Amino acid sequence: MVEKKEFTKILVANRGEIAVRIINSAKELGIKAVTVYEETDKDTCHVMRADEAVCIGPGPRKDYLNIEAIITAAKQTGAQAIHPGYGFLAENPDFPEACTNAGLAFIGPPPKVIRNLGSKVIARKLAQRAGIPVIPATETLSSGKEGERQALVFASKFGYPIMVKAVSGGGGRGIRQYRDEKSLLNGLKQSRSEALMAFGNDAIYLEKCLDRIRHVEVQILADQYGNVIHLGTRNCSIQRRHQKLIEIAPAGLDKKLSDKICQSAVQVTKASDYLSAGTVELLVEPDGNFYFLEVNTRIQVEHTVTEVVTGIDIVREQLLIAQGEPISISQNQVVERGYAIELRINAEDPKNNFMANPGLVQVYQPSAGPGVRLDAAVYQGYEIPRYYDSMMVKLTVYGFTWKEAVQRLARTLEGFLIIGVKTTIPYFQKIVHEPDFIKMNFDTSYVYTHSQLLEYQEEEREEVKIARLIAEVHAHGYNPYTH
Amino acid sequence: MSQRITTGMNAMETLEILQDADGYYLCNNERDVSQSDFKNRLMPMTTVRVAPFREAAGFFSVEASGGASVHVDLMRKQVSPFERLRIARQTMPRTLLQIACRGANLFGYRHYPENVIRLAVKKFSDYVNVWRVYDFLNHVPNMIPIFEEVQRAKRILMPSICFSTGKEHTDAYYVQKVKEILGVTGPNVIISIKNHSGLGTPKRISDLVVAIQSAYPDIILHYHGCNTDGNDVGRMAAAIIAGVKICDVSDHGYGSVYGQAPALSLIQMLEDYGKKAIGMNIEALVKTSDILRRELKIYEPFESPFRGHDPRVAHYKLTGGAAGSTFEQADKDGFLERMPEIFDEMARIQVELGNWWSSTPGSQILWSTAVNNVLFGRYKKPSLDLKNLLLGRYGPLPFYEPDEWIYEKVLEYQRTDGKKWRQILAEEGGLIKPSAVNLEQKRRQLESELKSSVSDEQLVLYLLHPFDAVSFFKFEAKYGKTWVLLPDVWFRRGGFKTGERITFRDEGGKPHYIEFISCQLEGNTALTTLLVDHTLHKISVEL
Repeated sequence: MVEKKEFTKILVANRGEIAVRIINSAKELGIKAVTVYEETDKDTCHVMRADEAVCIGPGPRKDYLNIEAIITAAKQTGAQAIHPGYGFLAENPDFPEACTNAGLAFIGPPPKVIRNLGSKVIARKLAQRAGIPVIPATETLSSGKEGERQALVFASKFGYPIMVKAVSGGGGRGIRQYRDEKSLLNGLKQSRSEALMAFGNDAIYLEKCLDRIRHVEVQILADQYGNVIHLGTRNCSIQRRHQKLIEIAPAGLDKKLSDKICQSAVQVTKASDYLSAGTVELLVEPDGNFYFLEVNTRIQVEHTVTEVVTGIDIVREQLLIAQGEPISISQNQVVERGYAIELRINAEDPKNNFMANPGLVQVYQPSAGPGVRLDAAVYQGYEIPRYYDSMMVKLTVYGFTWKEAVQRLARTLEGFLIIGVKTTIPYFQKIVHEPDFIKMNFDTSYVYTHSQLLEYQEEEREEVKIARLIAEVHAHGYNPYTH
Repeated sequence: MSQRITTGMNAMETLEILQDADGYYLCNNERDVSQSDFKNRLMPMTTVRVAPFREAAGFFSVEASGGASVHVDLMRKQVSPFERLRIARQTMPRTLLQIACRGANLFGYRHYPENVIRLAVKKFSDYVNVWRVYDFLNHVPNMIPIFEEVQRAKRILMPSICFSTGKEHTDAYYVQKVKEILGVTGPNVIISIKNHSGLGTPKRISDLVVAIQSAYPDIILHYHGCNTDGNDVGRMAAAIIAGVKICDVSDHGYGSVYGQAPALSLIQMLEDYGKKAIGMNIEALVKTSDILRRELKIYEPFESPFRGHDPRVAHYKLTGGAAGSTFEQADKDGFLERMPEIFDEMARIQVELGNWWSSTPGSQILWSTAVNNVLFGRYKKPSLDLKNLLLGRYGPLPFYEPDEWIYEKVLEYQRTDGKKWRQILAEEGGLIKPSAVNLEQKRRQLESELKSSVSDEQLVLYLLHPFDAVSFFKFEAKYGKTWVLLPDVWFRRGGFKTGERITFRDEGGKPHYIEFISCQLEGNTALTTLLVDHTLHKISVEL
């Protein structure tokens, strides 16, 4: 028997654009939203948009990971549920557990599901049980010499290059590739220590390296009544260091393959007793063979592309499911129409290895127009703190055809006026005019095989350049270029 | 026929209309006027300001580029010569654009390789309708690659004969030159009489026109004169009455001293002779000058230190285009008071060196030789260009050789190998014909310098003026297209006042402003705060 609840207030345990995104859906359902913030993050957008905001500590970063402080904030403000967003505590099973213990609903899957799917080894077993192919891989490697022996046996069977992954890794982190025996043996220690540093767990395993693959994922919704549906595919192949740069819905696969992949995703979700929104990630080879990669037990950054092509508000569904409602649409009602492309406009310098470029946003004039969705975390005059991720605004465009979506993306990127910080816009502007991208011909090697995309000229506005001359004329008392 | 000529007509149609014209046409030679009085500093926005009226005035053409202006665009105005032509084309879409070209020297002072010449002519022809081509020694072979490229581009070719005075400069000589040119080009050209120094009486010019037309009755003639002596209206009138179809004129608002004579003066004079200026709109002509008169004060600091007509130019024959800059140089180097001596010396050396034409680069050779002779002693400090001239590197001298003592002084100057002038002449003399350059290699060289891809136009500028082109490209990358600034901002002295707002329109016509807020000095750095289209910018300048 499912217990139905009616939330009147929830707490959003996150920051930036995703916090604002969740607040928006909550408000549309008539639910008040409380948010938390660190002192170093008090000027951020989500604090302004929430109905209430609680400072949970001086920051930076550590207080957003403080379960106790967040639970206290929820209790103090009378929130009945907590939405974790993505990152921070979103995939930490201790968090939903603490919520349950405090009498709060967790808007996401139960702790056991997070724990199982968070372990790549358990997740692979679940997938295999559901009949989905998995990439050949080892069990968790033993420590010391035995681990080295296991690694060499695996490498001799499947050949190099070999991927080493952290058991608790995710979001593209904790992955390394080794091309020969020497680098593999040397790298095992390093991978263990990186895994320990990043995830508090030094367990690692090996995986066969696939070539010319597409990264495809399936958006899932599951309710407490055993209903599981998929909202179609996404293509997240354009990645840099295993981190997604551009995401597209649908993935652009032929219908038969797409249906097969979606059905597999539903099966693995069912096998894991899943609840709420989640994403099943897969790798697809050029010949259509696909392999299970992992399940992300949270809302994802790129969920917007699915929302745009299906018209379904995924966060709203999460909120309703958490209240004990069934999914509000049936599988038959899900239709993917056209194409959506999402990218992250970050305060980063792509030419400088995408290094974060925090600072004062002197001018922020966003682009807009038909088929454009913005999930923003900035405003004009906002000082982007150096402590958090550098995303300024998430841009999602829609087009009835792929061509229209690309053209719209190009037009929209051109329409942004951001002054004060370097952004990823010039890099994306190169991509949208690149022939392979225009032909939707890309796989996970795209960024590396198209390194020329970084050779862009950062175009300063003409009037700003001219202002430089005006400053020269004034400083010298005459125009030094007339003599 | 009395039909205005416009860009909608092709070269052959244009020539046919000119041939049948019952009247005469005028070419506005802004390029030559501006280099005379303003040392080539006339900024694009001045041209833009008057462009609608020039377009309405109905000129046959506007000479918008060529000569030294290509180099000066890069050096002094920080604008691409191609861009300046593009601006002229946009703002005067119906008016033919004309360019002056110095034969194998193109827009420079020494011969360029033939493949460079051909590429440059091809690229400039994207904007230019009329090519006025000359060689300062009237050596026709120096002009052939240009003739060929202009005709290949289906543009109007205007080969010139440089004109001067003296016993060698007979009608027969010039008719023979026209014959040589037509032998290369064929009849579908306009022959220009290039009277760059404004020499000869109206009668002399009339006689020459008659002589050429007697030999070639169907040929279309153009006259390019200069008003240094104040009498070019007379020469132009005589030329037109004798049969010339096009004359180079100026806007009277410019002052019309060292450049061409005013259009309106000529039009008014010829009315009494029953000659009509075809296509001309007097109201638009007057309006142009009204604007230019007001604009002149901006260029005041660059005016020649000596202004006024000088009828003695008939003696020293200095080309009008160089008059202003020679006075400026004399003033800067402290020998302005010795100009009468220098002019006398110019007259003397012209006779000594062969009585050829005082047109670029010959005019520079004559000027620098005269100055050095006066300041340091006769032929005691000959220039490299004079040496090249005597070695025949520009082409053969047309009438006679200088005396041997001049060869000796010039060719043996600073020689350390002990060679005598005859040996030097024998070993090193002859027309210079630089070998072809590897264009793709040059392009790669420039790309590596600029760290970006290079357009054909950029390549051409680099081939013509390597150092100044690179400086300009770097300037433009840093400061943008500053030609959009009004001249009073570009030439500003003493800086800007707090609250002063500089307004301009960008290339696309969008308005912008830069408001001056403040400037603080911190050691050797000036930190300037400006409001640029509502956005605050702090810019530091090293002093």
